[in-house]
Amino acid sequence: MLKGSFVLLIALFIGVQAFAQKFFTKDAKVTFKSETPIEKIDATNNSGTIVLDPATNRVECKVLIKNFLFEKALMQEHFNENYMESTQFPNATFKGNITNPTEVNFAKDGAYTAKLSGTMNMHGVEKPANIIGKVTVKGGIISIHADFAVSAADYNIPIPSVVSDKIAKSIDVKVDGTLKPMSK
Amino acid sequence: MKRILWIVLGLALMGGAYGVYLYNKPHKNMTNAVVDQKITAQELYEAFNNDEAASNARYLDKTIAVSGQVKEVTQTPEGGTKITLEAGDFGVSCELDPLSKHARTTFQAGENVSFKGICAGYNLDVQLARCVEIK
Repeated sequence: MLKGSFVLLIALFIGVQAFAQKFFTKDAKVTFKSETPIEKIDATNNSGTIVLDPATNRVECKVLIKNFLFEKALMQEHFNENYMESTQFPNATFKGNITNPTEVNFAKDGAYTAKLSGTMNMHGVEKPANIIGKVTVKGGIISIHADFAVSAADYNIPIPSVVSDKIAKSIDVKVDGTLKPMSK
Repeated sequence: MKRILWIVLGLALMGGAYGVYLYNKPHKNMTNAVVDQKITAQELYEAFNNDEAASNARYLDKTIAVSGQVKEVTQTPEGGTKITLEAGDFGVSCELDPLSKHARTTFQAGENVSFKGICAGYNLDVQLARCVEIK
């Protein structure tokens, strides 16, 4: 009897442990691209963070605006000073939940499609956002890839008419991260 | 009349040349960049952890020299190097500047190093962009 409950206790403990485990990365690659017939602009940030809690299906991502590197210094300057106003709004975040948790098994190797629903916050504006993420689980490592479009107007980012043919109305954003168990 | 035309043409050319210069203006040279503030990785992380707004006002966009112990070294997808210095839970991350020449790009966990880079702010970690090693 005693032995039985001990085993049960251990099993419970392991179960709770496995579920309490969060996954994270602070090396997610976040890129965006604006393409018009006149000008192609892209920028890369290698320090996006993603925290995933499989127990609650919560996902939180954050990226620092000032860590986006552009090929042209002038574009980087305009991006920070005129468009994103990154001194006042230093980061962009997405916080949301997986809405199809039964279709994604983080504990089992495989490829899944996760539907995320939450809020995106950038340039001081918060908007509801839905993102589709491709999830690959392999040997306890979780890789996430997501592609989505962001409209500058939605986040109150004004694009002057003089450059409106050089900057796309809709910006393509890509996020790639490899998440490992958070050891604390 | 003709003279005015020449002057206008001259000004237009100068304006155009300035425009081209601005468009192609190089990024800040990090090897020669003057350090605004010197601090340890621990102190920098704690400053952001305690008061992010005040630390943003103090450090954002500044060229900061930060010293500490290497926690981990990771490669970026483009083949760049990012060194995380020991501080708090997530450390201070220094991504080597892709535009600068580096004496070395290999670092060992546990060694003491100093970098200067541009402070990008506080995520989970404190992040410095465009870093170069300093002695």
